[in-house]
Amino acid sequence: MTQLVQTIVLGLLIGGVYALLAGGLALIFGVMDVINVAQGALLILAAFVAWTLWNDFGIDPLLSVLVTTPLMFGLGWVMYKTTIQWISGRPASMSVLLTFALALVIEGAMGMAWSTTYHAATPGYFAQSFRLGDFYFPKAQVFGCVIAFGVLTFLYVLLRYTWLGRAIRAVSENVSSARLVGVNPKKVAALTFAVGVAMAGAGGSIASVLYPFLPGSHYQWISRLLGIIVLGGMGSLPGAVVGALALGVAETMTATYISPRWATMMPYALIMVVLLARPQGIMGAKLREDAVI
Amino acid sequence: MRRLGRVFAVLAILAIAVVAAGCGGGDDGGTIKIGASLPLTGDFSEPGTAAQQGYDIWQQQVNDAGGLLGDDVEMVIKDDQSDQNLVVTDYNALIQRDEVDLLLGTFSSLLNLPASAVAERNQMVYVEPAGGSPEMFSRGFEYLFFAQQATAPHQADLFAQWAAKLPGDQKPKTAAYVIADDPFGGPVAEGIKDQLEAAGVSTVYSEVYPPETVNFDAIASAIAAKKPDVIAQGSAGLSDGVNLVRALIKVGYSPKQLFQASSPSFADQYSDGIGVDNTEGVFYAVSYHVDAPTTGNEEFLAAYREKYDTDPPEDAADAYAAAQVLQKAVEEVGEIDQDKIKDWLHSNTVDTILGPLSWDETGAPQQAFLLAQWQNGNEEIVLPEDAATSTTIVNPKPGWSQ
Repeated sequence: MTQLVQTIVLGLLIGGVYALLAGGLALIFGVMDVINVAQGALLILAAFVAWTLWNDFGIDPLLSVLVTTPLMFGLGWVMYKTTIQWISGRPASMSVLLTFALALVIEGAMGMAWSTTYHAATPGYFAQSFRLGDFYFPKAQVFGCVIAFGVLTFLYVLLRYTWLGRAIRAVSENVSSARLVGVNPKKVAALTFAVGVAMAGAGGSIASVLYPFLPGSHYQWISRLLGIIVLGGMGSLPGAVVGALALGVAETMTATYISPRWATMMPYALIMVVLLARPQGIMGAKLREDAVI
Repeated sequence: MRRLGRVFAVLAILAIAVVAAGCGGGDDGGTIKIGASLPLTGDFSEPGTAAQQGYDIWQQQVNDAGGLLGDDVEMVIKDDQSDQNLVVTDYNALIQRDEVDLLLGTFSSLLNLPASAVAERNQMVYVEPAGGSPEMFSRGFEYLFFAQQATAPHQADLFAQWAAKLPGDQKPKTAAYVIADDPFGGPVAEGIKDQLEAAGVSTVYSEVYPPETVNFDAIASAIAAKKPDVIAQGSAGLSDGVNLVRALIKVGYSPKQLFQASSPSFADQYSDGIGVDNTEGVFYAVSYHVDAPTTGNEEFLAAYREKYDTDPPEDAADAYAAAQVLQKAVEEVGEIDQDKIKDWLHSNTVDTILGPLSWDETGAPQQAFLLAQWQNGNEEIVLPEDAATSTTIVNPKPGWSQ
């Protein structure tokens, strides 16, 4: 029983971090129909920035969220203005090609800037745990989870209660009608993309403490994140959170009770089962194709 | 339809660009072209980049000393992006389009498996700096040579023998094996398991995990519940080893003996990844040590330090040794004749910076790896005794520092 609870706790903790990372991806897809394959590379880029701040200036990597998030917001905006906006309105497959190319460019640039060796931020707590009776809670994951849910709550409030948030939701639901009520979809798209990338910024700071990383690490992340948003429902933010937690728990439960061999595959089996029953994902909205154009 | 047309147009332009890039070579008056494809990006970019450094240093030294058979050596190195399909494309291109005279191998068994098959089909000698998986040598290849001391199942022989011979109260009773689903890492752990089980050490945990695993929390938690004396991990690359140790520290379980196949050989990257205090007592097998009094090591070390301002990683040394092997064989044969080079290597021993290397008929090397251990933040060779840089072996491993 202890083992079972411990396994679920570990799964939820890592799932919470996944939620933050997948949230940005879901937001960008939901509003813009852009599948941002570069999200993983941006995450690693933020991790390198967090590592540099920690290594050279002694800034705690988790505290550096305050730097990486606005920095990546700016980068996201520039990326949108220079590249992404030219494919707006094109099929999502075009965005996969473009953002994959961007991911390769970012990977190459990181290799030149930081070399292709592994980097790891190891502040005092990186491998410590909180202990409660027989249970343990890895500090890095706990702090990461807290930050993740802080950022997600902020995003939720932004989407729910601000004009920008309402504009973003309006564009994600129906571009033409949004235009009719005075929303400029292009501006909204630029800001949404920037916000999505900013979430990779916060995620990168957390990831820098969790695991060693190198420029090529983005492939591991992006495949998992894409799985999460498909599971949760493409473009649904609450769906991404639920999908992330489900995937985290599925991974650790499989590793403990079946075999680690199946741990990375099981979540995808779960995705297939969910998609058979609910093709739109756990929380995805069922829309007619012509309704979203 | 128009869109499809555009996609084809882009693909066509790309294809032309690729072909044009490949045509750069031309004829090779007075130069010997040596081709290799390395994982310079992607998952194996770390060892791939190190291997490129090893090849570069060798090329520079050979050319400074008058070249190979009097001709300048030109290395043609492609990037296979750690991709098993691309590495095949690359070696085919090196042979057919770049028309290289000689080949050198790539990194990790995963990529050498398909790449060596291309070389074999073209009857070209393939000296590989990595690729110790037993699968490499079960295919009856004649042109394949592995330029390290032993194949994967024998990598940890010295560790297993040492642990099995510990006196009664110190001898481990139980062991856990954490095995990457990797053609190199898997056999290393299996090799230890076979030997320790034969010595009466019972297995309490043995699980295979996919190589893309980064989260070892569940694995560490399950191992901690079994309280094994020995934990042995077989994997390729750095991150698996670091992530397992981190997970073990988090769960608060420290074994009496910890062996990890390749991760601890990554010097600072390993100690930075887990904290230098936590490295104390960790065992690993290694092919190269900077202080080794082997053929050419002094020159290699000096050149490497001058160019990169740091000590060479093992992977760079392995690549350099592979090139040494090829160089020696070509010089002894006196011409570039793949069959003669192959025959010469099958019947001779070559002195390299890793020590002497010789091969059986499958290309598997016949020597033994060094057993190394982290002691006081340094990497020390502890066995065999004649190569040892430290006279003590830390045992049992102290607990984690936090």
